[in-house]
Amino acid sequence: MSEERNKLHWITALIEVLKTLKEMILPLIVIVFANGLQDSGTGKWYWDYLTFIIFGVLIIVFFITGIIKWKRFVYWFEDDELRIEYGLFVKKKRYIPFHRIQSLDYTEGILHRPLKLVKVKVETAGGADIMKSDAELTAITKEAAKRIEEKMAEAKQNIVHKPDDIEGLEAVVEPRPKLKLVYKMTSKDLLVLATTSGGIGLILSGVLIFLVQFAEFIPFDKMYIEISEFIKYGLLIVAIAVFLVLLVIWGISVLMTYLGYYGFTVELDKEDLVISRGLIEKKRVTVPLNRVQSVRIIENPFRQLFGYANVVIDNAGGGLGDSARINLFPLLKKSAINGPLKEIFPDLIVDEPTRKVPDRGKRYYYRIDFLWMIPAIVALTYYFYPYGLFSIAIIPIIVLWGLFQHRSAAFEMFGNQLTMRFRGISLQTAYMMKNRIQSMEMKQNYFHRKKNVAVVSARVKSGVGVFNAQVSYMEEEDANQILDWYEPVRVQGIETDVIVENNLD
Amino acid sequence: MRKQPVNRISEKGLRVWRLYGIMQTIVVFLLAVGAGILTYIYEWPWWVYGLAAGVVIIYAYLFIVLFPKIRWMRWRYEVRESEIELQHGLFIVKRTLIPMVRVQHVDTSQGPILRNYNLAGITISTAATNHTIPALVMEEADELRSRISVLARVAEDDV
Repeated sequence: MSEERNKLHWITALIEVLKTLKEMILPLIVIVFANGLQDSGTGKWYWDYLTFIIFGVLIIVFFITGIIKWKRFVYWFEDDELRIEYGLFVKKKRYIPFHRIQSLDYTEGILHRPLKLVKVKVETAGGADIMKSDAELTAITKEAAKRIEEKMAEAKQNIVHKPDDIEGLEAVVEPRPKLKLVYKMTSKDLLVLATTSGGIGLILSGVLIFLVQFAEFIPFDKMYIEISEFIKYGLLIVAIAVFLVLLVIWGISVLMTYLGYYGFTVELDKEDLVISRGLIEKKRVTVPLNRVQSVRIIENPFRQLFGYANVVIDNAGGGLGDSARINLFPLLKKSAINGPLKEIFPDLIVDEPTRKVPDRGKRYYYRIDFLWMIPAIVALTYYFYPYGLFSIAIIPIIVLWGLFQHRSAAFEMFGNQLTMRFRGISLQTAYMMKNRIQSMEMKQNYFHRKKNVAVVSARVKSGVGVFNAQVSYMEEEDANQILDWYEPVRVQGIETDVIVENNLD
Repeated sequence: MRKQPVNRISEKGLRVWRLYGIMQTIVVFLLAVGAGILTYIYEWPWWVYGLAAGVVIIYAYLFIVLFPKIRWMRWRYEVRESEIELQHGLFIVKRTLIPMVRVQHVDTSQGPILRNYNLAGITISTAATNHTIPALVMEEADELRSRISVLARVAEDDV
């Protein structure tokens, strides 16, 4: 049976063009600068304006490909599958069975909002071929999105009940059950989140990269005199200038975080988490609860000072980055976490881990750092003689930080749950169920063996990647105990021996 | 104290590692010869010759004699009914535990050198991690692969 073929909304073409432009903008600017700054008075107009002509042609090409892409993209429902056909030169087809779809994620961008459209990302319970199994519908109407959801629900019901009573069931497709609100970010928390967001470094490095890109085009020779003049006005002005720049950057990051996390809510369905956020661009992500691999409470040192933390969950579905590591509660008073967390994961034991690591292992937390520290200090001292000596100050900092990390480390087993706490820069407390840990490892070098300490790490799936929870330099006995805890219970001990015997023959 | 895993990898694996070490040493040797030639041409100080020779000798000792030996002595594995246990590492001894229920698939692989010695590596993949046993006799690797896959199939579980 052939069903009706659906097209995306025409705005898709425009979005595609803008997307390509966004990716191309930096190389294009570089090309324009490189050519435009040359003194090319050849007299031939098309030679002088070559870059602009290339620019114009490219934009036209982008437009045409955008429109073709949109024209070519169709999706329809057939045989309990979502079928998509697309492709610019090569026609590609992608068939996704409804029961394999684990969630539909909605995003409403600036272009979507006025036209009441959504971008739908189809997430599948993917294996290794994650890139091939996901699909994205760039812009469809909300009604169309709802239809996909309905079709999906229908198909899933058909799977649950045997196919022979499809007829009777078709009518009984219930409306989505009401979502239960678990967590809503208060405007105060949102402000704190925005102002303490770590986006500063990100943007700073972005600016730096941008400057490096342009370093060639800045006439440093001419500027040099002015800069030295500028410095003569005194360090104060320089400092103020630097500060103002940082302030502006920080302001941008505050604004971006504010807009991105505005109206952050977590709702609970029967078996899904629905997370929505955003002011200008609205996002809605659905996470099936049975795909959650671990829950982590993260406290960065600055927020820890004020008693704030954020909660992250690792999701087995989804692809890279965003959809794998989901910010469940972006910012919350530490004391207020337990309530909503319990509501979502009733079986989780959110107690603090109490088993600590021994003092014997303290030294290993900083000792390895001397490997790079000593040569660095020697080199700095040698090349910048008097001032290079300041680098020695890094030794106590590293040692203190190591001791801090040592003090933070802890673990505990509660039934089937392993809790591990450790610190890189931020303090992380990871809660993992035994049946979600993919493998465990115990590590020891010669020195650790002599002092009977060991590193234990647990690997949990996070999207297509791994999350590695690791408590360093605990008692060897404790490490063995954790591995024993993790080791599956052997039901038929006798048979095992038989198998091993056979293998040895 | 946990028991060490019982099985060792093939003794021929040690030979293969030594072979790798020899090949790396040849590269280092060529670099050293290059340094020697440059020293001769540009009349750099004489100790450069000594340094180059020293580096080659030390490298050869470490990568042909010592490291493969330690690594081979260390490598142990055991495939039990409900889990796989590995132990390996040169300086840092790593002991890995992989429950059978987590195993997604098992691959054997063989490069030209391994094939020459009738060896194969076996890679055990979980949903998140990969673990490789580097050198087993071909038949043993095949047998192990099919055994793991049978055991893993019996122990069905969600991700």
